[in-house]
Amino acid sequence: MQWHDRNKKPREEDEMTVKIRFFARFRELLGTDIVTDVAPGTMFTSLIMTIAQKNPAGYAAIFDDKGTFHEFVILMKNGKRIEIADAAKTPVVDGDEIAVFPPVAGG
Amino acid sequence: MIAIQTGDVDIGTLITAAKKKGTGAVVVFDGIVRDDEITEMELEAYEEVAVKELEKIGRDATAQFKLLHVDIIHRIGRLTVGENILIIVVSAGHREEAYAGSRYIIEEIKKGVPIWKKELTKDGGRWVPGDHAHGSGKPR
Repeated sequence: MQWHDRNKKPREEDEMTVKIRFFARFRELLGTDIVTDVAPGTMFTSLIMTIAQKNPAGYAAIFDDKGTFHEFVILMKNGKRIEIADAAKTPVVDGDEIAVFPPVAGG
Repeated sequence: MIAIQTGDVDIGTLITAAKKKGTGAVVVFDGIVRDDEITEMELEAYEEVAVKELEKIGRDATAQFKLLHVDIIHRIGRLTVGENILIIVVSAGHREEAYAGSRYIIEEIKKGVPIWKKELTKDGGRWVPGDHAHGSGKPR
């Protein structure tokens, strides 16, 4: 059994820690660099849904009434984009960095 | 030089460095904070990913347009009206390649590099919508 410093409590062998990064408007509503424990088998979409539900405005910015990502939302896992259609069946694993952000506007 | 940074750069120095052997043209693109009745502009990036994507854009432009040198410097943080946001310096043997390469780089940046701008006004702020406001998370 490992000790998980962040929570100061024993860490179960099957616990996993992932980091969620929101940017721009999503960051303002939900924060960023959120480190959280997830259970094995947790999917990308359900993880973000759980985090976003902490702020109704943040949730509404990312998800529609049916609990689907708005079409304009961009998703990344470990720096690689994933399609919205695949996110519900994309598992997150220990050490993953998940990013969710609105359309880019650089330049 | 490919970078995302808060500080400005000396464009003259970049131009000098871009004059590699065989250079016949240097094109500089300098994107500037426009006075759209704003007080300042706040820029934010997913830096680790954005730098890698800028590097790829630079490599692709070099291969496609036979560029001899590429600099892409995108600034983040809080900038005031008139300040440089994005500096692209390219050199090539001929003006056609230099212009085309520079144009390719800026358009690719606007398509997908994770950088955002917020215009700060007296009444608060507004996030600038991108030119490509249809994410749908499709892989590049």
